[in-house]
Amino acid sequence: MASQSRRTPLERIEYILIVSTLLLLVVFTLQPLLNLLALSFTEPSRVAGFSGLSIIPDGFSLEVWSLLLQHPNVQRGLFNSIWMTATSVTIGVLGTALMAWGLSRPGLPGRRLIFIAVLVTIVFEPGIIPDYFLMKRLGLLNTPWAVIMYKVISAWYLIILVRFFEEIPKELLEAAELDGANPFQTFFLVVLPLARSALATIALFYLVLHWNEFFRSMIYLNDQTKWPLQVVLRQFVIEGDRVAIVGAANASGNIGAAQINIRALKAGMIFITILPILAIYPLILKFFTKGTMSGALKG
Amino acid sequence: MVAKDGQKVADVLSDGNVPGSLEVLRERVLNKRSGAASVQDWRAKLRQWWPYYAMMAPGLLFFFIWHYVPIWEAKMAFEQVRIIPPNIWVGLKNFQQLFASPIFYQVLANTLIISAMKIAFVFPVPIIVALLLNEIRNGKLRGTIQSAIYLPHFLSWVVIAGVFIAILSPTDGAVGQIQQAMGFGAPSNYLTNPASIRWVLVISEIWRSAGWDSLLYLAAIFAIDPQLYEAAEIDGANRWQKIWHVTIPGIVPTIATLFILNMGLFLSADLNQVINFQNDVNASTIDILDTYVYRLGLSTGEYALATAAGLFKAVIGMVLIVTSHLVSKRLTGKGVW
Repeated sequence: MASQSRRTPLERIEYILIVSTLLLLVVFTLQPLLNLLALSFTEPSRVAGFSGLSIIPDGFSLEVWSLLLQHPNVQRGLFNSIWMTATSVTIGVLGTALMAWGLSRPGLPGRRLIFIAVLVTIVFEPGIIPDYFLMKRLGLLNTPWAVIMYKVISAWYLIILVRFFEEIPKELLEAAELDGANPFQTFFLVVLPLARSALATIALFYLVLHWNEFFRSMIYLNDQTKWPLQVVLRQFVIEGDRVAIVGAANASGNIGAAQINIRALKAGMIFITILPILAIYPLILKFFTKGTMSGALKG
Repeated sequence: MVAKDGQKVADVLSDGNVPGSLEVLRERVLNKRSGAASVQDWRAKLRQWWPYYAMMAPGLLFFFIWHYVPIWEAKMAFEQVRIIPPNIWVGLKNFQQLFASPIFYQVLANTLIISAMKIAFVFPVPIIVALLLNEIRNGKLRGTIQSAIYLPHFLSWVVIAGVFIAILSPTDGAVGQIQQAMGFGAPSNYLTNPASIRWVLVISEIWRSAGWDSLLYLAAIFAIDPQLYEAAEIDGANRWQKIWHVTIPGIVPTIATLFILNMGLFLSADLNQVINFQNDVNASTIDILDTYVYRLGLSTGEYALATAAGLFKAVIGMVLIVTSHLVSKRLTGKGVW
């Protein structure tokens, strides 16, 4: 850059200050997570004295991870989270795309009315008690479906997809019609392939939403064996129920659990819960950033 | 929704300028014909559009059952719930009981205080972060910083509360150790201290959203005409003068929109966050409307009273959101949707 050479010492100090401030924010963001990661790999005997400031494991041990991953509550939670999230995302993407396609057709009779009806659901939410009684009435209480169907089609993501479908060039659709495609064929064979990146964005939105959902599981699912990972984590880390992990581990013959410092177990548990998010984080950065830049506020 | 997207939905709703408006016009003309002819039109329309309704059917059904039936269920707010149905209609009695209860006002005050603190202390942070990020010309460095600070936005509040419980642990948390090293005395437990727990909410919210929310402002900054910066440079403006006279005026509409939208959510104060930071000791200072509804309804079984409290929040919330949408539309041309 040409201006680089013209920089005065003052400007250089300013730049260093700006970069340092942002790097401080990076440390503030990442240090707590790295500390917990290091803690989860620390030698069990040294966990007690492990500093909250350190980000390097003191000694190295896989005991916490192997214990947690073999733990029935964790395994079940992981299994529930994965299949419930996958089901929600699949139903959600398909349902949202189908509805958005209809809503994006300009001449559709009743289009305006449906739009208003959808917007009303954003503005007016009657609250958790009516929702709870709806689940009761539908017979879905204490079944995973009460959680899977929660926000399975999001009004916000629907509107994003309608916007996208409206931009599809008319010529492409007319060409398909001329070739004798019926509306279903046009949708599945022409529109969906064109919308791949938009659908991927929506799928990621839904994936993060459903993976992180805990409140509905908490109020709808009495039976602990149906809990997703977030609720298992909550019981252990937030409610401080040691028995949830340590007690059951002892009962199943893992005597080591009681000896490992509870801090390290909690740290490992937090990391198991965010591992899937970390795994798809590069994709999230790619699609979310694009999606947000082009107009999605909620997410 | 931001920017032009909001306008498009509004265009669709305002029924003019829609690609299909010609059809609408023709339909209106046709409707003036005899009854028999309009039945024919109706049939023709059905033949043309049924595949689209068939595709929309699952979605429409979902919205009806999951979002409209609960509105009907909310009539419980006006009833006395009996173990053996049917419930008895009692009019506004539940609301009278609610408004006569001192806890309700405590909870309302907590909600308003927490929301106000978040607007005052959380809202400006992403703006500053975006302004700083924009000063970094090295794309790789900026990209790395962005990837790091966006991460917490994608973590659940259960995880974030777990992280903060670890940071704030009086025995070995990072905050306590820094505090001791700098000679500020023995660390106290900020999570159980009613005086500090609201600040924990503010700071954890900054941790979660300051990075990600800066993206919205950064998008607005990138949309500013580069010629404005060139002109400022020719006038001899330095870094801060450019920020003050070009960048900030360029993002004021975005700031205004997001500020107004935040005002629309004033009664929410984020249930998912609060419920994970709440404990027996701090409950009185961070009990908000949503946690009150949850406890009253699902723990105590006061269904009618809880529904009334929820409905109170829903109605005021609706007024706030619609008002903020209209104000935002008026001032900046951008709305909520």
